[in-house]
Amino acid sequence: MTIFIELLLNGISLGSVYALIALGFVVIFRATEVVNFAHASLLLAGGYITAVLSDDIGFWLALLTGIAGAALVGAAIEFLVMRRYRGADHSVLAIVTIGVDIMLVADIGRRLGTDILSVGDPWGDRVLTIGAVSLAQTRVAALLAAGLLITAFLLAFRYTSWGVAMRAAAENAGTAALMGIRLGRVSLGAWAVAGGLAAVAALFLTVFPTPGLEKSTAQVAMKAFPAAILGGLDSTTGALVGGLIVGVTESLATGYQGDLTFLGRGLGELAPYLVMVAILLLRPAGLFGTKELARV
Amino acid sequence: MTTAVPLQVRDVTVRFAGLTALDQVNFTVDPGTVHAVIGPNGAGKSTCFNVLSGVYRATSGSVRFGAHELTGMPPHRIAGLGIARTFQNLALPPRATVADSLLLGRHRLTRTGFVAAGLRLPSAAREEARHRARVREIAAFVGLEDQLDRPAGSLPYGQQKLAELGRALCMEPELLLLDEPVAGMTADERRRTAAVIAGVRDSLGISIVLVEHDMGVVMRLADAVTVLDFGRRIAGGAPADVQNDPAVIRAYLGEDEPAHAEQDGEQDGEQDGEQHAQRDGEAAS
Amino acid sequence: MSDITDQNQNQKQKQKQNVPPLRAAAKTATRVPRPLTRPGGYGWVAGALLLLALPFYLDTFWLQAGLFAMAAAIGAIGLNLLTGSTGQLSMGHAFFLAVGAYGYTALAGDSEGRYTGLGLPTWLAALLAVVLTGLAGGLFSPIAGRLRGAYLGIATLALIVIGLHVIDNATDLTGGALGREVPALNLFGFGFDRSELLVAGVPFGSAEKLWYVGLALLLGCALFARGVLRGRPGRAMNAIRDHRIAAGVMGVPVARYRAAVFVLSSMYAGLAGVLLALVFQNVTPSQFGMVVSLQYLAMIVIGGLGSVGGAVVGAVFVSMLPQVLTRYSDALPLVATPGTGGVSPGEASAYLYGAAVVAVVLFLPGGLIRLVARRTTMSTSGEKR
Repeated sequence: MTIFIELLLNGISLGSVYALIALGFVVIFRATEVVNFAHASLLLAGGYITAVLSDDIGFWLALLTGIAGAALVGAAIEFLVMRRYRGADHSVLAIVTIGVDIMLVADIGRRLGTDILSVGDPWGDRVLTIGAVSLAQTRVAALLAAGLLITAFLLAFRYTSWGVAMRAAAENAGTAALMGIRLGRVSLGAWAVAGGLAAVAALFLTVFPTPGLEKSTAQVAMKAFPAAILGGLDSTTGALVGGLIVGVTESLATGYQGDLTFLGRGLGELAPYLVMVAILLLRPAGLFGTKELARV
Repeated sequence: MTTAVPLQVRDVTVRFAGLTALDQVNFTVDPGTVHAVIGPNGAGKSTCFNVLSGVYRATSGSVRFGAHELTGMPPHRIAGLGIARTFQNLALPPRATVADSLLLGRHRLTRTGFVAAGLRLPSAAREEARHRARVREIAAFVGLEDQLDRPAGSLPYGQQKLAELGRALCMEPELLLLDEPVAGMTADERRRTAAVIAGVRDSLGISIVLVEHDMGVVMRLADAVTVLDFGRRIAGGAPADVQNDPAVIRAYLGEDEPAHAEQDGEQDGEQDGEQHAQRDGEAAS
Repeated sequence: MSDITDQNQNQKQKQKQNVPPLRAAAKTATRVPRPLTRPGGYGWVAGALLLLALPFYLDTFWLQAGLFAMAAAIGAIGLNLLTGSTGQLSMGHAFFLAVGAYGYTALAGDSEGRYTGLGLPTWLAALLAVVLTGLAGGLFSPIAGRLRGAYLGIATLALIVIGLHVIDNATDLTGGALGREVPALNLFGFGFDRSELLVAGVPFGSAEKLWYVGLALLLGCALFARGVLRGRPGRAMNAIRDHRIAAGVMGVPVARYRAAVFVLSSMYAGLAGVLLALVFQNVTPSQFGMVVSLQYLAMIVIGGLGSVGGAVVGAVFVSMLPQVLTRYSDALPLVATPGTGGVSPGEASAYLYGAAVVAVVLFLPGGLIRLVARRTTMSTSGEKR
């Protein structure tokens, strides 16, 4: 039972980190209707900046720079690339983000080489023990930070003028523009916020028990895709629930894979994707996604 | 000739997340007639079309075409029964040629699959040639035979709408649903399109359901009219009767503003209370 | 319904009187049959002869690169049917390449040592591997039929992960991370192995012999795809891409078509996988990762979405780029030989085709093939637009 609780808590913590990434992904989708396949590379950029600077300027300052840097990368992609394609087909735009992703991953991958960079976080491998249950401090920090950021984000989404503009743009871009909402700013903001959230997620994907930032971190970040789509691409609630489902699934599958050997090694990597396929079979629009109403 | 079956719409209701777009709507389209569905913007005309063609699913009620129940059928099965439609906003791929668009209309009448098309089997070539010939005839019928090889997007708007009508005719339909076929056309194009539609009914014997704002066209073409307002059927009958129906006039001109109410009164001299009663009665029938 | 015709005739005459005279310009767009006498026709013949003669002149490095490009072209044609013509995104193409490659290897390979194989005749194994890939695509059809566009793209990420998981665990079939040797193709007693054959004084090894197999397969695949696109299925596919709802209303069963195109596209990838396995003579998991799926998407965007020729051009561009950069890395500025710390040829080509994807969509919608097409139309009919 203790093991189950530990795995569950770990899963929730991991899931909240995936939710952070998925949330950014959903925000971009809602603001611009673009499926951003470059999202994992945004995360890699944020993580890289944090890891490289932390030795020189200290962890917290490096983290802030990393967040700002990733937000800037996101904004730059929007401003320099996506903005040039106004009115293009959304499937084609998704492929454009793939092009961006190929370049960014190639660049950061080249800088990283075979290195594994430590982000220099203050938690190290210390463990928090409550009763019989012990949990890595990094996992507790992840849960707290993600919870805080998600709450702040949802409040902003609901109550600030930026959030209102964003939701209006998602509802009907043409009308929103006529109402004086600057679509350019909305989508720029979405990309920047998504970048910042991804940078925070990068931190928690590279701290203990993971060895650090490496090329394959991008693959870990990819799990935000199933999280986002199984929740429903246009739903912020969906991103949260999807993230948690993916995190808990991964944690439990990894923890109990000794009992599930018939499914092969490395089950933890596979399980989230299997859950995604199962959910999409039942609900093609995801758990909370709105079934698109055709306007003809 | 076409097997003449009526289209019966019975108690059809459509709700989207709290909004009732259609409320217990009833009407019958007799075989070989033009039945117009009219009403102010937002009355539910397009929703009605989307239910008839299977794009939306009715919350309750029934749509029968002869012996077939249409509610719950996917669009392609409804098309398979010989029900064709055009769209209010053009749904014509701009870069494809008019001929290719019209050939798409032949989809349900042709069989060539991936293997036959990929291997260019003689059967596929024969089928293609046969249906291209028919497409040419139909293009001539709507007056587009010289535009067949041009990309649809390069045609003037009016001709694009005609191409959509031609595409629907290429399905050899028994029932044709036309969503604002003359909207956005010049006076000349309107006249020609109206002539084509009349020709479809008179010479091909196809039943037509027509959504249209142009009352001139409606009055000229329609054999029967159904009037919708806020998702309810408020009137129905022969065009001349509907034209003078107080509920219809009120729906178009509004009833809360005194000036209009006065106008209503002058025109048909009825009491407010009676009007309400009549309106409710119509909707319930 | 046949008696409509004569009534149409009447109607046509009635209509004709109302129709204003049409501009003569409308005729220019009519498709003109291409006689061989025009320059383009000679170009095709010369190109074909050149391709047939290349094994006599090129060394094994370039022949391998060319074969790799042919395999990529077959896979790209398949992906273009799905993404370019039907508007459905797939990130799972590498998975189907893997099913083809490993399927062939396991079906044709022998059971010896730690490996399991059926030891089938190689041509039969190749055929069955393609069928197997189609089945795998069919298994995914409940999702492939119901999800649209980029949604399907994300869902197909699962295929990559599942594929790598199976490769990792079914080591007796796949050889795991170390890979497995691929049995050489043998067609009716003629072996496409390393045994050298002297043709016109030129030694023909496996690459030289496979070259002709690759050319034949690519030609067949391209013609088949073109037939599909120009016929009834192609019109239905484009209708689904351009206006899904109108397609359904016109009688196209949208979900069934999406699923069918997904299967067809998978089978193309399966055949490409078989050819890749034969060219590399060894299959390893790294040939079938996520990056490979992205490369195939890059190919069809760069070459031209929805066009068979575009897929081929894009495949040649993306697959030859690293080879060209590797061969000429000393001569090129900024590109270092692998292992010396600078930008390696693989990385440089990733920058280049990533940028090409972004630039092509922006500046050259329609892809590189549009450049070629524009040249030929200008030379035949002058100004087209």
